[in-house]
Amino acid sequence: MKRRHFIATSSAALAAGFLPSCSGKSDKPTLTVFTWVDYLSDDAKASFEKAHACKLVIDTFDSNEAMIAKIESGAAGYDILVPSSYAVKQLESKALLQPLDHAKLPNLANIDKAYLSHALDPEMKISAPYMMAPTVVAYLKSKLPDAEASWQLFSRPDVKGRATLLDDMREVLGAALKTLGHSLNSTNSAELEAATELVIQWKANIAKFENEQFKAGIASGEFHLVHGYAGELISVQQENGDIEIVIPKEGAAFSCDDLCIPKSAKNADLAHAFINHLCDAEVAAENMEWIGYRAPNTAANAHLSEDFRGSTILFPTDELFAKCESIGYLDDQLPLWSAAWEKVKNA
Amino acid sequence: MKPSRIPLVTTGIVLAFFYLPIAALVAKSFNSSRFSPEWKGFTLKWYERLFERDDILAAFINSLKVAFIAASVSMLLGTSAAFALHRYKSRLQDVHRMIVNIPLVLPDILMGMSMLLLFIAAGVSLSLATVTIAHITFCISYVALVVLARLQDFDPNIVEAARDLGASRFQAFRKITFPILFPGILAGGLLAFTLSIDDYVVTFFVKGPGSDMLPTLVYSMIKKSKELPVINALSTLMLLLTFLLVFASQRLTRPVNR
Repeated sequence: MKRRHFIATSSAALAAGFLPSCSGKSDKPTLTVFTWVDYLSDDAKASFEKAHACKLVIDTFDSNEAMIAKIESGAAGYDILVPSSYAVKQLESKALLQPLDHAKLPNLANIDKAYLSHALDPEMKISAPYMMAPTVVAYLKSKLPDAEASWQLFSRPDVKGRATLLDDMREVLGAALKTLGHSLNSTNSAELEAATELVIQWKANIAKFENEQFKAGIASGEFHLVHGYAGELISVQQENGDIEIVIPKEGAAFSCDDLCIPKSAKNADLAHAFINHLCDAEVAAENMEWIGYRAPNTAANAHLSEDFRGSTILFPTDELFAKCESIGYLDDQLPLWSAAWEKVKNA
Repeated sequence: MKPSRIPLVTTGIVLAFFYLPIAALVAKSFNSSRFSPEWKGFTLKWYERLFERDDILAAFINSLKVAFIAASVSMLLGTSAAFALHRYKSRLQDVHRMIVNIPLVLPDILMGMSMLLLFIAAGVSLSLATVTIAHITFCISYVALVVLARLQDFDPNIVEAARDLGASRFQAFRKITFPILFPGILAGGLLAFTLSIDDYVVTFFVKGPGSDMLPTLVYSMIKKSKELPVINALSTLMLLLTFLLVFASQRLTRPVNR
């Protein structure tokens, strides 16, 4: 009898916990943000909730493509999306975003003009840049003492079998295009062909194309040279002082995640207020130190700690930054790139 | 003659195959290094961070609620389906059998996408409720399968004997059929619970704002989190809970007088 009693009470307790979550909610307005995990500092969240007497609900996705598939099929209820720049273009071409009302966004004046000249949406018509970081190269100082900051490191014979490149067509072919002095988003078939040849040379030298293990690999010294995202490699560097991170002198890809408002947003006013809040100088400064990426926000720089501001990776010289590019949306030129990547993979 | 060593060796290999990865995960949850597989010192900081993170706790509770309800409802519906499939033979039941079996082989991605489209077409806003409905849908088939297997070993004569001895239809069900089938139903329910709690694909499509579930959160954390070892800590705790549950259920189901 006792056991049955236990089951009855525990199921009643669970059911009671379940029901309120479907029905009754507090009368505070809610703003739902569909974003990457750990992509908003607790302080930035709390200060927004306080200033606008609302509740912020965070929902996470793990790939731009899955998020787009969901929004495209009509999933509503999200007020803010935080896709990568190329995915913003894709959402825009499917007419899923609403234009930003600049009258409600005075803080957009803080956004870094130098960054905007590289951005895919330079006038911030539909998106405001949130966080960006370059794709970089990291190596072990003890193994490559004479290394220079260049993509050509991947052809050095002494890293044979000890290097990884990202398993990402845009990043790797883009790096090769940069090395040859072309645009990262080139759709010129001769340029692409030359880049393909170069990547095939690299491929013969490296251990593998890899997206996850390179972090543990360079932390433990298994790999001597890796290609990866700045945000992640900077935290790996904090554990292993032998790691040096550089932006290759030929230029690199800068990827940025942007804030945008879907057409189906229920609360567009509050969504604008949220974007404005995140572009505030102090909020942006606190937020970027928490996340470890750089918000392209000129006014925020004054509020950053010297340590963070001094990072040559997140804040490269103007000269080097001018050579960096955002990864663009290829649209109908995609098959050209896919074919080149296929060739690399089969080589 | 000496007994063969082969069974012992095989058991050892199988146990290592199952439990070494789990042991590695438990060990990593106490490793102070975030990235490196090397041991950099014992720490409890990942556990501390785990309890500070409201989002993981909320997702875990959501997952538990959905799994519990999905398991309960699919136990009920799956058992009814198994009864119908077992008792009646007709062309219509063949169709029924096919309908019950299809979700077992249907790719998750297809199921998730089609449910999302259905919910949107019906104007249902996505929430925990839609996730629960979706999970019930695929759990029913598994429960039905397990209960059906149990029914096939079931001797219908004992029910007739009970009826002969004066039991009503309901009494015969309550005193004979149900107790005999109960382990099967419970096994089906447990299967449904585990399937629900770790489903990622279907869940991602039908989850709505504010209903993040554990698997979807874990996937996002693998992609972009500064605190990945927190997942190891959470997994270790869940593992501990599972072991305790299995231990408790073995104690509870042990025959009393022996």
